[in-house]
Amino acid sequence: MEIYQLQDVSFTFPLSDQATLSHIHLTIASGEFITICGRSGCGKSTLLRQLKSILTPHGKREGTIRYAGKPIEEADQRTQAAEIGFVLQNPDNGIVTDKVWHELAFGLESLGYDSGSIRLRVAEMASFFGIQHWFHKSVSELSGGQKQLLNLASIMAMQPSVLILDEPTSQLDPIAAADFIETLRKINQELGTTIILTEHRLEEVLPVSDRLIVMDDGAIIADDTPRRSGQALFRMKHPMLAAMPSPMQICAGVEAGIAAIPVTVKEGRQWLDTFLQGRSMELPVVDTESRGQSVANAIAGGGKRQKPVIQFKEVWFKYGKEAPDTVKDLSFEVEEGQFYCIVGGNGAGKTTTLSLTGGLVQPYRGRILIDGKNIAKMSAKELFTNKLAILPQNPQHLFVKKTVEQDLYEMLSGSPLSLAEKAEKVETVVQFLELEPLLTRHPYDLSGGEQQRAALAKVLLLEPRILLLDEPTKGLDGFFKERLAHYLKKLNAEGVTIMMVSHDIEFCAKHGDVCAMFFDGSIITENATKAFFAGNSFYTTAANRMARHVWQEGVTIEDVIALCKKSS
Amino acid sequence: MMKDSFSSFHPIVNFGYFAAMLLFGMLLMHPALQVIALLCALTYSILLNGRRAVKFNLLYMVPLFVVMAVMNPVFNHAGVTILFYLKNGNPMTMESILYGVSAACMFVTILIWFSCYNAVMTSDKFIYLFGKIMPALSLIFSMVLRFVPRYKEQIKRISLAQRSIGRDITQGNMLVRARNGITILSIMTTWALENAIETADSMKSRGYGLPRRTSFSLYRFDSRDRLVAGTMLALIAIMVIGEASGRNDMRFFPSIKMAHTTPFSIIVFAAYLLLGMLPVIIHVVEALKWKSISSKT
Repeated sequence: MEIYQLQDVSFTFPLSDQATLSHIHLTIASGEFITICGRSGCGKSTLLRQLKSILTPHGKREGTIRYAGKPIEEADQRTQAAEIGFVLQNPDNGIVTDKVWHELAFGLESLGYDSGSIRLRVAEMASFFGIQHWFHKSVSELSGGQKQLLNLASIMAMQPSVLILDEPTSQLDPIAAADFIETLRKINQELGTTIILTEHRLEEVLPVSDRLIVMDDGAIIADDTPRRSGQALFRMKHPMLAAMPSPMQICAGVEAGIAAIPVTVKEGRQWLDTFLQGRSMELPVVDTESRGQSVANAIAGGGKRQKPVIQFKEVWFKYGKEAPDTVKDLSFEVEEGQFYCIVGGNGAGKTTTLSLTGGLVQPYRGRILIDGKNIAKMSAKELFTNKLAILPQNPQHLFVKKTVEQDLYEMLSGSPLSLAEKAEKVETVVQFLELEPLLTRHPYDLSGGEQQRAALAKVLLLEPRILLLDEPTKGLDGFFKERLAHYLKKLNAEGVTIMMVSHDIEFCAKHGDVCAMFFDGSIITENATKAFFAGNSFYTTAANRMARHVWQEGVTIEDVIALCKKSS
Repeated sequence: MMKDSFSSFHPIVNFGYFAAMLLFGMLLMHPALQVIALLCALTYSILLNGRRAVKFNLLYMVPLFVVMAVMNPVFNHAGVTILFYLKNGNPMTMESILYGVSAACMFVTILIWFSCYNAVMTSDKFIYLFGKIMPALSLIFSMVLRFVPRYKEQIKRISLAQRSIGRDITQGNMLVRARNGITILSIMTTWALENAIETADSMKSRGYGLPRRTSFSLYRFDSRDRLVAGTMLALIAIMVIGEASGRNDMRFFPSIKMAHTTPFSIIVFAAYLLLGMLPVIIHVVEALKWKSISSKT
């Protein structure tokens, strides 16, 4: 049975002459698991909001949307609330009440169920989601992953027949994201609930999806099983191919064996084996001329070294007198001009390390030197002018004015420069980050990637020599990630040292000079990026996991493609 | 600290108990009743808060009691039994001394009851009780309790983000600090309004605003609650009858006059003691029961 039928649906926002959605034809059968992907701003979210008319933004819609056989306008608020569940992107914003149990009951209270039925439904859902251990907790004590799971559970308590999710995992760390996708799979498989979700990170979600819909510029360009959608993208040579999982990209890059395009790492390994069969393999020589070498030398105890700009010397830190140590006996050095990445699990102390480097918190033992000077003895002015800057995880925390342009000028408000000099500085930054089209917009109206660019511009106006980044790729699509990498590389080339904390292994592997693994409050291992990932067997890129049985040093997608192309 | 059993009763029972004890504590001036009330309040507060309560009572309540008891006769000179004259010629009367002691005792008792109330009546219970009267208000309470820690956390994050560009309230001179503080608040406001839109979407999408909304709670009024509530009502009834028949009367001015102690007034005193000690009795009984169960297995 079809649960949704969209016929020739177009949607235009007020005061806009361009349609956000154009001529969408889509049929969704009951019980399907559908993933929608596409660049930010391609109309994914707008499409999702058409599917629940009480959340549809103002604008002009053409065409018909049928829900369970009837036009969606005929479904009243009660039906829509009960049958169509909608999970938002930010887990914090979805939660209304202060207690977990109350949140679970919220929807049922609205629908007017009596206490007995609510008790039963809440108990069922808490058990299904494994929430019973934190059932009595306050919402503020939960982790991000738990919060998103709570959002999902509180909607599932209403027993909807469709679940619509708008980038539900974009604010979660990889482990929590994988858990969340697994829960969705369980809901889909065991309860038969139809699932429609948008997503940037496709590696986990594609293996469980029945269909992958790719959107571009408000139109659907591919709509088939993940494998066939991938093939379609390949035939179109579409840029969205870059958002597909690594095995797919490698296969497409090699342009061979497209018929059996692999989706998972497992399929990728099998595909690679078949591909390499009967071909002589020529292992590329590892490029040791990269800048990572200085560290490799430093670790080996020889070679020429750059001046260290960030030095941690046996640093210990805890958040309270009785609290456990967050950072334990941490020593490391970042040399001038390096792109230094810290990776590691959640709660290992990565972000704390960044705060320590920025002087936001002080260690209780050990020393932190910036440019050879103890950070504890530096004034804020000394530290933050022309020396060090932090780009916070949430760029919204930096915006204060009505337009991006005013916001940039605000950054220079305290400086003694003349107006012309200020204008010149702002102009340089705007050109560097290609912000011209955004200057007159309100910072909050920008997309996630654009907001981050604007925030980066603000930070760069301080002309830092050291830039600290906290999870800069969180919630960004592949396209914006590449843009960000491009700017960071440019800064790097100008001699700015970059230290980044991230969960995003693929990004670090592709762009970092040196990677360090953080675990249990300290750095366990540190090495030039290639060597670092080649040395790990699980905590490494998908491309490496796919190819490491034939070539351990193949870390990035490009490496593996190059390998395949060279073997003949 | 051991978990108090009385706290696990239905919020109405908890609230009824404290309402009764606070009201009786403020209205009844009979010395026997006052001593009973003080004793019950002290015992229960120590049971609830352990050493912290002992410290609180000794460090703050005892001095407060002394000060209040001394202050009254110094300023109040009513009463017929004059003991001696002060240097400024004002009389010191026995009535005003005793009244001071009585008033101080009442005040301290009420304060201790409130410390117990705070430990037992958590925000959930309070919200639940108000939700019974006004469901919309209880949701607002719950949302406020959600937003306060969230906003606090957010302010902290914004402040850190601003500190990392050298613009926090801890940086710069007074004027700059004040300006930075206002900037942080302004960011916070924009952020809160922007994100509230999504929360409103989440509420709407889960049917908020539909008619006939119900209010769910984890509490159930079970037989245990009925038993204790019944006992409490019976004891309160005895107290009220005692009051009506003048068994609890006490007069200080102009001369001290106390109701005669009759067999019925003994019953009233016993009822008050039982009522005041109810949580302690429940706690002890349950603890004993637990011991006997665990010794059998």
